[in-house]
Amino acid sequence: MEAEALQKEALAAAEAAQTLAQLDEARVQYLGRSSELKLALREVRDRETGMALNAVREALEAAFAARQSELERAELSARLTTERVDVTLPAELLGDVRVRPRGSLHPTTLIRRDVEDAFIGLGYEIREDREIETVEYNFDKLAFPAWHPARSSRDTFYVDADTVLRTETSPSQIHILEEKPPPVYMVSIGRVYRRDAITPTRFPIFHQFEGLAIDRGITMADLKGTLLHVMRALFGEEREVRFRTHYFPFTEPSMEPDVSCGVCGGSGCPTCKWSGWIEIGGSGMVDPQVLANVGLDPGEWGGFAFGLGLERAAQLRYDIPTIRPFWENDLRFVRQFR
Amino acid sequence: MRVPLSWLREYVRVEADAARIADALSISAAEVNTIERRGPADTSLYVVGRVLGAGKHPNADRLQLCQVDVGEGKPAQIVCGAWNFSAGATVAVAKAGATLPNGLTLERRELRGEMSEGMILAEDEIELGADHTGIIVLADGLEPGSPLANAVPLVEEILDIDPTGNRVDLLSVYGCAREVAALFDGELLPMPGTDPAQDGEEKVEIEIDDLDGCPRYVGRLFRDVTIAESPLWLKARLRDAGVRSISNVVDVTNYVMLALGNPLHAFDYDRLEGGRIVVRRARKGEELRTLDGTQRALEKSDLLIADAKRAVALAGIMGGEETEVSDTTTAILLEAANFEPVGILRSSERLALRTEGSNRWEKGVDPYLAGPAATLATQLLVELAGARWPGAADVQGELPQPSVIPLRPERTNEVLGLDVAPERQEEILRRVGFEREKAGFRVPTWRARDVTREIDLIEEVARFQLSEIPFTLPRREAMFGRLTRWQRLRRVVEDVLVGCGWSEAYTPSLVPAGPIVLPEPISAELGAMRETLLPSLVEAARANRAVDVENVALFEIAHAYPERGREPWHVAGIVDGGFAEAKWAVEQIYAAAGIEPAYERASEPFLHPGKAARTAEGWVGELHPAELEGTWGAFELDLDALAAAAGETVRFEEVSPYPELRQDLAFVVDEDASAAELLAAVRAAGGELLRGVEVFDEYRGAQTGEGKRSLAFRLAFGSTERTLTDEDVAPLRAAIADAVGKQFGAVLRA
Ligand SMILES: [Zn+2]
Repeated sequence: MEAEALQKEALAAAEAAQTLAQLDEARVQYLGRSSELKLALREVRDRETGMALNAVREALEAAFAARQSELERAELSARLTTERVDVTLPAELLGDVRVRPRGSLHPTTLIRRDVEDAFIGLGYEIREDREIETVEYNFDKLAFPAWHPARSSRDTFYVDADTVLRTETSPSQIHILEEKPPPVYMVSIGRVYRRDAITPTRFPIFHQFEGLAIDRGITMADLKGTLLHVMRALFGEEREVRFRTHYFPFTEPSMEPDVSCGVCGGSGCPTCKWSGWIEIGGSGMVDPQVLANVGLDPGEWGGFAFGLGLERAAQLRYDIPTIRPFWENDLRFVRQFR
Repeated sequence: MRVPLSWLREYVRVEADAARIADALSISAAEVNTIERRGPADTSLYVVGRVLGAGKHPNADRLQLCQVDVGEGKPAQIVCGAWNFSAGATVAVAKAGATLPNGLTLERRELRGEMSEGMILAEDEIELGADHTGIIVLADGLEPGSPLANAVPLVEEILDIDPTGNRVDLLSVYGCAREVAALFDGELLPMPGTDPAQDGEEKVEIEIDDLDGCPRYVGRLFRDVTIAESPLWLKARLRDAGVRSISNVVDVTNYVMLALGNPLHAFDYDRLEGGRIVVRRARKGEELRTLDGTQRALEKSDLLIADAKRAVALAGIMGGEETEVSDTTTAILLEAANFEPVGILRSSERLALRTEGSNRWEKGVDPYLAGPAATLATQLLVELAGARWPGAADVQGELPQPSVIPLRPERTNEVLGLDVAPERQEEILRRVGFEREKAGFRVPTWRARDVTREIDLIEEVARFQLSEIPFTLPRREAMFGRLTRWQRLRRVVEDVLVGCGWSEAYTPSLVPAGPIVLPEPISAELGAMRETLLPSLVEAARANRAVDVENVALFEIAHAYPERGREPWHVAGIVDGGFAEAKWAVEQIYAAAGIEPAYERASEPFLHPGKAARTAEGWVGELHPAELEGTWGAFELDLDALAAAAGETVRFEEVSPYPELRQDLAFVVDEDASAAELLAAVRAAGGELLRGVEVFDEYRGAQTGEGKRSLAFRLAFGSTERTLTDEDVAPLRAAIADAVGKQFGAVLRA
């Protein structure tokens, strides 16, 4: 028989098979040991015929394999349909519900709750805002200068020219100040995104909490006192806090708070790189430009803002050396937290 | 920025040691990553030596046997492998007993039968350079036996500091010295560099086409240049600062950049067409092969240095290969310019080309620095490359004038929450370069970009007072903190699931595919924002099974991103054990939220076709076996929808003093009729006295027949007026049986 006609007939047979058994039958007929094709292959003398017949063999094998997985999926579905249950029944009539030991909250959530509680206690409101943010709210209204590296697509995930995955929770400052008149005391908590390669200490997604206080007569001393209170709530009453000058576009003056090392108590150890202090976030007095951007008079209103990482705080509290387990969800990790 | 301390101390007189300088800098100005120490721990056995005699080692062709005067009565015999010196040379010697920086301790020992009492040092052995082709030959006239540390920078301490983006002035040793002087009230010496006399009268042609991109260009011509290796002190300084030594000319440009903060470039003057420089934007289709050997396609926005014909450098970023200084160069054109930051940033970003130069330009370099930088470089080129300086040009546009900013001292105190006397404020500002004038403070040119307002002056004061500021809390007129309803529900859902034995997961919101795609992801796996949490949880479950973790029950609460502008919170879960396990958890969530959901049969490609249900807020089902090996239950609900539907308050109802009467009813009914439909019919028919009803059994068997099953209901009747009897409820039972029979063909079982 001519190869082409043979191939056509075999393909039709594969397609026509409605069960796995029928398909096996057809396979034996067209690809089996004593099939016409195999016999022909054995008698091949010239290279060209050999290549042509082998091409047919390969095409048929692929077609049979494809049909087989189709039929398998269909038979699985048919079998599954016979396992149909009345989904409106209560769970206990639908099968076993095992009695399980209590599960665990993730350390990120444990820290989030402590942050919420500490600030609720100070009379703050807690908010969550959108993560897909406009360049206007993420950078412009927060007074990021044009040269700031965070604006670059090297450091930030752009969705389009005007839209980014927020790089910090700070756009919440703008959102709340546009929503309501001061005084404002709020903490915004949520996911933020940085275009970092994945390393043991960095993951492109993490959680921040951002605090903002806008009122009359707010001072840097108030910022220091507030962060001292919160650090002690998170890490223990014996902790101390110090501040270092830093730079952030949306605060002036800007400072980085350090918390005294919990491992060595401040005398120096590998965890704190022998300094006795551990970097914990960023903070500062709200830049007058940011207040002006939301229509507030910087002569009347002032305030402070700060931002810290939840995972970083959890790492410090539980002494977890890398960020990796926070996103791996190995239950042997999560179950350690209560 | 790596700052060698001996270099810093050339510009500022302070007593403080490295650790104190680092501490003070890190509080007031810049992060200090490390304090590094280079060189041997003990330098007492390192001395200057004079070679009295040197000849071939009797037993080794490649070694020399030297007699070296090391200031002791008798010369030391030292075996040496280098041949770049002879008798009379002054050399660096480590005597027997000395420990090299690499930890090796030298011992007095025989080498091929001859005693060797120490080592004549090459620069790499004491970490002054990379050269190991010969030993260090010192200047004549040094006293044999005198400490080597007096002759070469044997020991160095290096501060590795990380200034913030606004403090480009600290990306220079002199800038750091200025800060240190302010911190410790030390004396700041004048900027280094004095112009040697110009030697000759040659015209240097500089033309700036784009004064916005390049407000200033100082070009200086040097002739009779001898390209050579740099002297040891220069090589050591660059090495300590983390810059590779190339040749005297290139090293001078790098040294001046590190010293003052103004990047420089040197062109081979003879290779500049027409001997002139034109600063302009690139032309369409123009290309340039940069020093790193890469051919770069330029765009119109790129600022270029060109000669009469073609591009010769990417302004501020990297020079071109064709005009690079080489061993045969004898004339150079030195560029000390000023470039506008944003353009440099854009070009370096687009070309993915970051250099020490671009890193400074993109932050904004003081335009008044080009002059002093040219001067220091000129002095060094004349001294180190034997060059003469026959011509120069200084082309500039309008350079910004330093502004004067008023400061209200009481405003400073309001912001700080600390009283700082006006005189003290003025003193702090004066020390960091601000000059008191009638109208306020004149900003130094190197701070013109980041100090423009009163608040910026206040920050200057604040950063020197940080530790003095007390800890207080805002004095508030009102307190109003509490969790929102949604936030409370989130906690309830978390606690319910944990109580059911589920543990919490956090999975990436970036997934391989989703409705919102990132044009520049860091990897294909993190290419889009997810529409649903389930696939991430399937992966988490798979990963746990891969390490044989048992009893897997995971949930997550996070945003989903179905479309732009909408980011609903979802709660999703996965559990080993099937549909019943997942539905149990969903039932507990609904119960906690005070919602009675309506379950309907659902069909989703990732779910078991016979075990999937939908509610108004989401779905619950058994995972399709093709998704994950084993039997898994899963669910995903819209938490925002759940919160919207949740009962706000509980309405109290009086409890009856009389017991309820409970009765069971079982029906044989077609498989097609769902328990929920029957339940609704029972409720409707049962009337007011039917207080509660639930399904408590499902049965299939010989008695029910093919295609049918038995469903058993437990009914609870009650009244607030009296105890009900069987007779009271008999008509209700009959009505219920009748209704269910009529609607579903259900037959009451005996
Ligand atoms: Zn420590």
